Amino acid sequence: MKPRTSPFLIAFAALVYIFLVGPLVIVLGAALSDTTYLTFPPHGLSLRWFEKIFEVGAFRTTFVTSFQLAFLATALALLIGIPAAYALNRYRIALPSWLSTVFVLPILVPEIVLGFSLLKSVTVGAGAPIFPTLLIGHTLIVLPYAVRVVSASLASFDFSVEEAAISLGSPPVKTFLTIVLPNIRSGVIAAFILAFITSINDVSTSLFLTGPGISTLPIAILAYVEQYFDPTVASVSVLLMLLTVAVMAIVERTLGLTFLTK
Amino acid sequence: MKRFAGWLLAAPATALVVLCLLVPVAATIATTFGEAKGVFSPYIAFFGSGFRRNVLWRTLEISLATTAISVVVGFLTAYVVVRSPGRIKSILIIAAVFPLLTGVVVRSFAWLILLGKNGIINDFLTWVGIIAEPLSMLYTQGAVIVAMVYLFVPLMILTLVGVLENIPDDVVQASASLGATPAATFRQVIFPLAVPGLIVGAVLVFTGSFTSYATPQLLGGERQMMMGTLMYQRAMVSFDWVGASTVAAIMVVVTVAVVLVMARVARRLNPMAT
Amino acid sequence: MTQALSIENLTAHYGTTKVLEDLTMHIAAGELVSLLGASGCGKTTTLRLIAGFLDPTAGKITLGGRDLTRLPAYKRDIGLVFQNYALFPHLSVRDNVAFGPKQRGVSVTERERRADAMLQRVGLEGLADRLPAALSGGQKQRVALARALVIEPPLLMFDEPLSNLDAKLRVDMRVEIRQLQRANGTTSVYVTHDQEEAFSISDRVAIMNAGRIMQFDTPEKLYQRPENAFVARFVGFENLIPMRVTARDGRKVTAEAPGGTLLALDEQRLGPIPDRFVLATRADGLEVSADPAAPGLPATLGLRTYLGRAYQYQCDTAAGGLIANGALSAPLASGASARLVPVLDQCCVLKSE
Repeated sequence: MKPRTSPFLIAFAALVYIFLVGPLVIVLGAALSDTTYLTFPPHGLSLRWFEKIFEVGAFRTTFVTSFQLAFLATALALLIGIPAAYALNRYRIALPSWLSTVFVLPILVPEIVLGFSLLKSVTVGAGAPIFPTLLIGHTLIVLPYAVRVVSASLASFDFSVEEAAISLGSPPVKTFLTIVLPNIRSGVIAAFILAFITSINDVSTSLFLTGPGISTLPIAILAYVEQYFDPTVASVSVLLMLLTVAVMAIVERTLGLTFLTK
Repeated sequence: MKRFAGWLLAAPATALVVLCLLVPVAATIATTFGEAKGVFSPYIAFFGSGFRRNVLWRTLEISLATTAISVVVGFLTAYVVVRSPGRIKSILIIAAVFPLLTGVVVRSFAWLILLGKNGIINDFLTWVGIIAEPLSMLYTQGAVIVAMVYLFVPLMILTLVGVLENIPDDVVQASASLGATPAATFRQVIFPLAVPGLIVGAVLVFTGSFTSYATPQLLGGERQMMMGTLMYQRAMVSFDWVGASTVAAIMVVVTVAVVLVMARVARRLNPMAT
Repeated sequence: MTQALSIENLTAHYGTTKVLEDLTMHIAAGELVSLLGASGCGKTTTLRLIAGFLDPTAGKITLGGRDLTRLPAYKRDIGLVFQNYALFPHLSVRDNVAFGPKQRGVSVTERERRADAMLQRVGLEGLADRLPAALSGGQKQRVALARALVIEPPLLMFDEPLSNLDAKLRVDMRVEIRQLQRANGTTSVYVTHDQEEAFSISDRVAIMNAGRIMQFDTPEKLYQRPENAFVARFVGFENLIPMRVTARDGRKVTAEAPGGTLLALDEQRLGPIPDRFVLATRADGLEVSADPAAPGLPATLGLRTYLGRAYQYQCDTAAGGLIANGALSAPLASGASARLVPVLDQCCVLKSE
């Protein structure tokens, strides 16, 4: 029972949503086109550009690299991020207040600067191979999601439950795994999804860390667009959008989409 | 004992951030002060070059324009979203989340199709007869701004939906019960309460635009070079690593300064935090 | 300034569920009426309908002859005090109070003068420049009260205004609210789930259940003469004993309780007694007697608890489990047999349902 929203505002919001969704629809249309150049609306429909994706070697290999990278970086970030989040909540009084700021730094420092600095210090400076450096970079950019999203879950967790389990004779590590972790499950899933999608879409950090032989999918797409202007890239984009749809379906199932506005 | 356990659990993540982020970034910034020609020589070179000054100026201009447009568009849209009935509201939220989760490259690429010589906008305008020849819209400042706004409006909408939903219903009702018209309630209650969130969103948009790479690269090209693309060009085309580091240092300084200043402003304006 | 409020045949739905059914009540000018009931009984819905935050499905609301039913909330001129205070967090205490006058186009100096005067009345003159976040719960509630009063509304409404305060402050504040309301003579509607609060503050109380008014009366009547089993239980009549009249002699009535016990009753004291009725008593109104000849229901005593002024017994009788009090001088053991004697002054007669 709120007073009516002005029709002008509603019309404006409708235009904004056309602006938001329209371009993605056009990418889908272009991907289904049967012409050799990018155009919309398509003159005829075909799936040939989806087949072309598999012919372009760069897309095939970078697709695999990007998935491996996203999965490893996310797993690593959770592995070190969950204990950190736990410490920040459980031992808040014992730890200095600047510690939580440390985990905001990867957001504060521009990703492109991080990528460049890793290139200089780790790849060139320490002579590390490309993939491990990429992994470090991606772990760093997704770490804030792991720490902050899991922290938010832990903030609403009643630690007296954990103390109850310990008083009943459960050792600390087992208590964490059997009592705490199941109760922050949704936060861990959310952190995983956000981290994974961030890593797979990342351009700025990867930019300086890809080299001959190893590259990520978004970087390969950027390179391809600069040379060719055919609908293959639209098809790859559609595949990435399907991934987004899958992710949103998982989020919807496990958490409900409203958690994204929190 | 407790203190020790806390440190131990936080240690791996802290070590990663310090060793692999703080130290390398500090090293990058440090190299800009280590030139033989003088401590500030890279900065003198940067600001001495009309081209690079232009890049910095253009980047600021595009980022501010993107921020201003995103704030206005995002706020008005979020206001409509929050006041929509349940089902429509969730559809609208999904429609904002979807682009946000879709990568920067894909979303910038969409505008390449839209704004190209054979793009839908040119086709449409020619078909209607407004123009005879296709316009060249790519590689203009406008193209970059439109694509950036496209990039950041969903973020702004979602941030502000969260902010607006946090304004308690009874505060809005109290305003009505005291005789405030809906317009007066919006101006005197809802807007002031949303300002801190608005600032947080604006900072995200500004720093995101200021340090972006993919969008200016695809839609701005050489002609609309921004700080991100300039940095890449310095490092990987000219192999001028000190020059690239200088650009990096300026980016860090601007980002950190904007974040710190605006965080302080937001805190001062936030009446809940006392 | 004070006006009568009348609500006629008000009905409201949330979606398809009916939350308020054909509610009619008339509140006289200057009267303070409480809507009392458990959550979900419709009391808050009624308040929100009067305030204009909900639209009724049917019915009419008039204030001093002015039809409010279709008027938007901001044109109704009703002072509202919210449960969570609903202060504007970005405005100082003074600006919160001056907000209403500002909407009415009162000049800056005049509205600040009025705000300060009202703050003085509620005892907050030193805090005008603070933000709400810097106030205690009781202070916030006073600001909320001042903010509602300063617009000199013909009707004041309170939505559980004291439920977030601690017990001691709650009692002080309700006295203060009553004094302010009396002094201004403002017609008031007060929503609460706290019986003591409702009874202590109100001229009349409407006890509500499932979207209807069960009884609308003065606190004294409600406490001593509930009209139905719901209200009787609500005001603490724990024992409801179904009875049947076996003989009448003028106003003297003999009635049979379950198990065949005959009790002598008096219509002079209890009012008219129908042939089938329910005798309602509180634990205080049912006395435990060890004397097997006492005129009461035979019972086996169960758990005994100490109340300070008496012992209380859980009793097993032919009428089911009853609760009765016994003298401190003669505690009885669990399992003992006893008689439960109704104290007629403390009983009431309800229609059988």
